Amino acid sequence: MCNVDAKDSSRIDMGRVREIVGEYSENRWPLIPLVQKLQDEMGYIPPESIPVIAGALGLFPSEVQGVISFYTQLYNEPRGKNVVRVCRGTACHVRGGKTILKLVKQELGIEEGETTEDMEYTLETVACIGVCALAPTMVVSNRVYGNMNPKRLRQLFKKDGNRHDG
Amino acid sequence: MQQVTITLNKREISGQAGMTVLNLALEAGVEIPTLCNDPHLTPAGACRLCLVEDEKSGALLVSCVTPISPGMKINTDSPRVVAHRRTIVKLMLASHSDSCVVCDKGNRCRLRQFAADLGIGRIELERIPQPALIREANPYITRDLSKCILCARCIRACQELVVEGVVDYYRRGFKTQPATLGDNPLEKTDCTFCGTCVAVCPTGALMEKDSAYQGTTKTAVMTTCPFCGCGCAVRLEIKGGKAVRALPGKNRMSSRGALCVRGSYGEDFTHSKERLLRPLLRDEGGFREVSWDEALAAAAAGLQQVKDSFGAGSLAVFGSPKCSNEENYLLQMFARTVLGTNNIDNSANLYNAATREGLGASVGFPGTTNHLSALEQANVIMIAGTDPAVSAPQVAYTIKRAVKFKQTRLIVIDPRRTKLASFAQLWLRPKFGTDPVLLNAIARSIIEGGLLDTEFVVRKTDNFEAMHKALEKYTPEYAESITGVSREEIDKAARLYAAAATSVIIFGTGITKQSRGADSVKALANLALLTANIWCRGCGIYAMQKDSNAQGACDMGAIPDFLPGYQHIFNYHIRKKFERHWQKSLPSKQGISAADMFLGAGKDGKIRGMYVVGENPAASWAQTDLVRNALSSLEFLVVQDLFLSETAKLAHVVLPAASFAEKDGTFTNFEGRIGHLRRAVRPAGESLPDWQIILRLAGQLGQPLPFADLQQVMDDIEEFIPLYEGYCHEDGRFDDDWSFWEQRRDSCRQSLSGFARFSAVGFEPEAASGDYPYTLVLQSSLPHFGSGARTGKVSRLRRFLTEPHLLVNPGDAEKLGLTAGARVRIVSPAAALSAVLKTDADLPTGTVSLPASFPEANRLFCLEKKPGAGRASLNVCYVRIERIEHNV
Ligand code: SF4
Ligand code: SF4
Ligand code: SF4
Ligand code: FES
Ligand code: FES
Repeated sequence: MCNVDAKDSSRIDMGRVREIVGEYSENRWPLIPLVQKLQDEMGYIPPESIPVIAGALGLFPSEVQGVISFYTQLYNEPRGKNVVRVCRGTACHVRGGKTILKLVKQELGIEEGETTEDMEYTLETVACIGVCALAPTMVVSNRVYGNMNPKRLRQLFKKDGNRHDG
Repeated sequence: MQQVTITLNKREISGQAGMTVLNLALEAGVEIPTLCNDPHLTPAGACRLCLVEDEKSGALLVSCVTPISPGMKINTDSPRVVAHRRTIVKLMLASHSDSCVVCDKGNRCRLRQFAADLGIGRIELERIPQPALIREANPYITRDLSKCILCARCIRACQELVVEGVVDYYRRGFKTQPATLGDNPLEKTDCTFCGTCVAVCPTGALMEKDSAYQGTTKTAVMTTCPFCGCGCAVRLEIKGGKAVRALPGKNRMSSRGALCVRGSYGEDFTHSKERLLRPLLRDEGGFREVSWDEALAAAAAGLQQVKDSFGAGSLAVFGSPKCSNEENYLLQMFARTVLGTNNIDNSANLYNAATREGLGASVGFPGTTNHLSALEQANVIMIAGTDPAVSAPQVAYTIKRAVKFKQTRLIVIDPRRTKLASFAQLWLRPKFGTDPVLLNAIARSIIEGGLLDTEFVVRKTDNFEAMHKALEKYTPEYAESITGVSREEIDKAARLYAAAATSVIIFGTGITKQSRGADSVKALANLALLTANIWCRGCGIYAMQKDSNAQGACDMGAIPDFLPGYQHIFNYHIRKKFERHWQKSLPSKQGISAADMFLGAGKDGKIRGMYVVGENPAASWAQTDLVRNALSSLEFLVVQDLFLSETAKLAHVVLPAASFAEKDGTFTNFEGRIGHLRRAVRPAGESLPDWQIILRLAGQLGQPLPFADLQQVMDDIEEFIPLYEGYCHEDGRFDDDWSFWEQRRDSCRQSLSGFARFSAVGFEPEAASGDYPYTLVLQSSLPHFGSGARTGKVSRLRRFLTEPHLLVNPGDAEKLGLTAGARVRIVSPAAALSAVLKTDADLPTGTVSLPASFPEANRLFCLEKKPGAGRASLNVCYVRIERIEHNV
């Protein structure tokens, strides 16, 4: 969700936002390339930048927000260093994908679409990763993990980050 | 335009090429159910309810977005169409809230109507969980998006009609909903609570909050909003003898499907508990309720006695831009023929006089020269001395539409950051009161830059030389030093305004309330004449009016120097014409203005008795203390009002008047267009329409006016005021059709003047200095109108009244050694009062502001004019700020 008082608004370099916005002319078509550029550089599209973008392109802020929220590949919340994608496709579902998702949520302490406080992990789900033979599956930082079970899962997070149980 | 013929439900009909199937069907009287379509909005094709079948191709067409094409065989009710329609409605209901059955929108919900029409009851489909009610703290609108059918009407209305863009689609798939930025409640957004989205929402998703009655009403009356000079058409819905809802007039050009917060949520002052219900008579113990007969007898006797003892010239009548044309017409006739004095004025004349004089002298027409929608044809709009987003919202909507959708460029001249400034290509911030200097510098820059329309200047105007000479002094350097606007910006404004094919100027009370308002208006008119931006499509000069009938009250002659239709009182032949018709003799001596009435009232003054109708000078006038003293020292005062106002409290007799919703009549808006008032409800208590009271009072004085009813008054107006010929036709032609009005105006203009005339105008800017180093301005707020005599009675609007703060630029505050929250005394030559200080970085240094809805603020302004000035300056006043020491 687009939350204007995002947790780390102090860290956003609004000067840089204005610079990037300034590179695009006053016309509505550059909206998508502009927000993509912002996201490439900042990792996400800070909600604070929406009024600036809207002002420069002659759009309404709510309109810009609407476009950003329409595309799943655009984010207006900071994302973790590692994106965890748990598969909820049919094959994975049949083989316990739902439980895996539940455990990941427990492990990270976040819900789908959220990011951990320490900005290490963002949790998402996907329709099918395409390796159904290895179900249940998940992807962490673009690496596929198959045949998941609770034990593997705990190990994965222990190994992968500096996260501890309890 | 090319005609296209199609078959519609087996009938051949034709329409213009490009028109949609839906619109042609509507024209042919064939009903097609629609949910997302609205005549004021661009078609969205979102709900698919308007499906029809083309039997030729077998295709199902979305009729609201499909243009007609030759040979189509449209069936709007084939079994296939009906089946699809049922499915669509079912799907909508499936994702609809369970609380639908107890929804307040009830039978007004179009979705429910269609469901009933199609015989759809319980929904067999699995329900889709929906978002919960949004917590809104604002007093006007609630949103329950579980009832939203995603028709996007609210989104389009907010973007296309009022151009706020508060809501848009947010998220995708099942989660989609119309949301604000950050999904915040409305009060945390730019929402102005204009109510437009509520008026267009076909379901219970958007609802008016805390309204007296939510259900369906059988009666609705089309009338005119009583607040600002836009004169929007308002549909009042009536239930149980009360006006329970105000909606934008359907298909009316004057409201264009949108009102503002005052129009939508401010009309219920009519039913305020504080209304005066019976006449009041003062005796030793205070006020006593009396019968009309007793009150009128006392009023007549009192006025007669003053006249007998001190002469007719000691009486004065104060009319009102809140009263109808007919009432002001009667009132001036009452003053002139019954009392025998030209001492009649109305508060709009304070600013209107400058427009009348300034435009009359330069373009030969005493008011706005073009109509509202012509703003959307202009290439450039220049606004000076007005903030239409607050004072005339419908004008602001039109300007924003022009900028957003028609590529019109906007120049804003205003020291304050107004809402429109963010839409402006160029925003000039001259120091307060220096805009005439800026305007002259722009005129000079136009000439220097060779941007003037020489042919027009030579053939259509005179006095160019004198004006040109007077401009010599206004070099960019000089202007920059006085106004603080840089020479680059001045040149830029000149180029923008002059180089465009068509340009418009809009000005308001910031210009006209200056001590030399008429000269400032002439300076503006010079710009239009230099560039031939007058009397053509997409150009012209627009004078904003504060009150609903400001234009009309003056047109009707409720002013001291003119008979109706600005016919001069000094002209013997004109006077004779009126005398013959009215069978009365007319006073030939010019009357005194309202300001002079108050300055000259009281024991040794000239004015000894007054009849005040629909105005509250004891609270809303400059130098309030003096005005109040003047009023209380009168021998006799009759006040006619809806409420026991501060002025009424000083009266000997108080006569209860009916509100706009309780009477018939007409208003003239700022364009000069007529808006009809139609009686929607019974007058409260024993109150009577002002026109009836005036007629009865004249009768009581033994000099009845020759009118049996309102129609006869209207006939008289038509006969005497050329501009109003044919104005009161009840077919509503003039509520909406500008072209007729334009004709009238043109014929009138020709008789006024052939040439347009440049005026040489020089200015010595006034400035704050010495004892009073700060410039005080009043800042209006949208929910409140004027001093809030009516809006202050509306509970929902009243919630927006906060403690009055004195706003000061942070730099100034620091210089004064004050911080936010400090209690300060504001001292002007007229009065002193205290307020709490707040800082506001948007205020220019040297300027402080108080809210206009805080009547006390008026006390500080001076009614007395400075020596040499034509009038007192009423847009600014000079003050000093003192800290109040706290002894704890
Ligand atoms: S009330 Fe007016 S400004 Fe507010 S969201 Fe609705 S249409 Fe927009
Ligand atoms: S809130 Fe009302 S007007 Fe807006 S999209 Fe939903 S149903 Fe349509
Ligand atoms: S814009 Fe003026 S006339 Fe229209 S609704 Fe608002 S106050 Fe009334
Ligand atoms: S269903 Fe999980 S990878 Fe295909
Ligand atoms: S009315 Fe045509 S799609 Fe909604």
